[in-house]
Amino acid sequence: MEILLSALVSGLLLGLVLALVALGLTIIFGVMDIVNFAHGEFLMVGMYTGLLTAQGLGIDPLLTLPVAGAVGFLLGVVCYFGFIKFLLRGPMVAQLLGTFGLMLFLRNLALLIFGSEDRALHHGLLVGKSFDIGMGVIVSATKLAAAGLSVAAFVAVWLFMNRTRIGKALTATALNRSAARYMGIPTERMNALAWGAGGASVTIAGALIVNFWSVNPFIGLLFTMIAFAIVALGGFGSVPGAFFAGLVVGLIMEIPGFWDFFMFTFNADWMAKVPMTSFKYMWVYLAYFVIMVVRPRGLFGWKH
Amino acid sequence: METLKSALDFSDFPRLDLVVAGSLAILFLIFPVFPHSSFAMATMIQFLMFSLYGMGWNTIGGYGGQVDLGKAQYVGIGAYTTTVMLVRWDIPFWFSMPVGVCFAVLWSFVLGYPLFRLKGHYFAIATIATSLVLKDLFEVWDFVGAARGLEISPIKFPPPDFLRLIFKEDVYYYDVILGFFFVGILYMNWFRKSRLGFQLRAIKDNEEVARSLGINVHWAKIKTYAIATAFVSVVGSFHACYIKNIEPEDTMSLDISILIALMAMLGGAGSLWGPIIGAGILIPLKSYLKEWLGATAGLIGIDLILYALIIMVISAFEPRGIWGIVQKVRRRRQ
Repeated sequence: MEILLSALVSGLLLGLVLALVALGLTIIFGVMDIVNFAHGEFLMVGMYTGLLTAQGLGIDPLLTLPVAGAVGFLLGVVCYFGFIKFLLRGPMVAQLLGTFGLMLFLRNLALLIFGSEDRALHHGLLVGKSFDIGMGVIVSATKLAAAGLSVAAFVAVWLFMNRTRIGKALTATALNRSAARYMGIPTERMNALAWGAGGASVTIAGALIVNFWSVNPFIGLLFTMIAFAIVALGGFGSVPGAFFAGLVVGLIMEIPGFWDFFMFTFNADWMAKVPMTSFKYMWVYLAYFVIMVVRPRGLFGWKH
Repeated sequence: METLKSALDFSDFPRLDLVVAGSLAILFLIFPVFPHSSFAMATMIQFLMFSLYGMGWNTIGGYGGQVDLGKAQYVGIGAYTTTVMLVRWDIPFWFSMPVGVCFAVLWSFVLGYPLFRLKGHYFAIATIATSLVLKDLFEVWDFVGAARGLEISPIKFPPPDFLRLIFKEDVYYYDVILGFFFVGILYMNWFRKSRLGFQLRAIKDNEEVARSLGINVHWAKIKTYAIATAFVSVVGSFHACYIKNIEPEDTMSLDISILIALMAMLGGAGSLWGPIIGAGILIPLKSYLKEWLGATAGLIGIDLILYALIIMVISAFEPRGIWGIVQKVRRRRQ
């Protein structure tokens, strides 16, 4: 029973963080119908920013979030005005390969600067600490904090998109670009804002993740694919969709944990022979494929 | 007979194209006679392989406009079929290669049917997902050597062996892949004038109109996907015999899929010469940049940074590729 509960809890906590990773992708896609392959690389930038600021200034990793957010916002805006703006004129093939080029560029720049070894945080207020939340379930403090902050970020983004004037303009641009322009909304600046907000949310997620996940230049692709799966499940462009889909994908990634539970419960030896942990990410890809084929709109999607 | 005549008929190209293409073909044929380094030879083989991959991608991605970013799984299927059959049952290349093509095409039908219900971005990302699932499966499947991969040992199969395609010198591999290359060009020349080729261009321009003209859009796409797969799988089988040591990471990674699409994109998707031009520029650039900047200057990753910059510039400013520029210049002259 403990195994089941701890798998459930760790899946949900991971899911909350992953939802934050996918949030940026869904904002960008919603506003301008462009799939950002470099999304995972933005996350990697956030992870390195968090790590280096914490180590360089000697402050707690959780205090680096504003720095990471600022870097992400800047990165998104610079990418938009320097590169993405030109891509939008071309066909879809060019957009896909263009953001793929951006991904290769960022990844190899990181490789050139930081080298290929794994780096992890060893110090911090919460790093390495964990506590028992009852019924034998042990949760590491970093994951709990990351999940809590992720929920807070979601609420903030939702309020921003629905309650503020500028957020409403962003939503209007996403719903109908030309109509928004007739209403006097500067759609070009809204695009840049979407890239900035998307970049900031994903780098903040990166600075949270680096608390319990080591970073190397190649980590991006995995998170890009996970974010794609979440966005597909939740519906491209939907913020609440990304939240709930993140939870589902977090649970999917915990399938090896559930597998262990069933193995012990039914005492099934054949189940022990399946190398379940090697399939961890395969389930995410498979889930993505099945969702896309069965319900391309996703759970909450309004775009197709 | 009609088919062969159509395949050999290049008369709708301007004379300049034919002169350039003909002289390049002669150059490729006599290349092994000239003194060359083994590095240059390896680059040439890579170039021919990637032109063929690009030609395959060009059918579905260029003429059909469906951005397929999962071709690496078929490279893997071809490569693994050949290697497994050779290592386990001693079945030579020329028999296992068609078997590999059959497997790959079957798998492409299984995947193509659901995949082509999707469009645009959704299709592109779904193809990536399928490719990664297959790679993950191969990494834990012991029969095909799991993540370690399989090796064709030169002791067990002493070179030279034409049936099993095991040679010591690269020249023989060059001759074989050059043969495939010419066959590929002739096939593509037939394909672009075939019924399916015209149907695909209609689908690319406007799917609804194509459907209203009575084209079975879904089936046309699946058929073309299978053709692209067959191309890729043949070269995958060749790759296995040439490299002699295959593992999931080299043969089925996303980078290979993207590289394949990039060849055709850079040269000009949807044109006969596009993939060849693209591979002719990218492959030498890649291997020489790696040699000079990566190995000599010790800057890891800088070759890929330059590479990424090229991709970004091309996709932002000339999405129709180099062939697009050539045609623009020509139109201006007239």
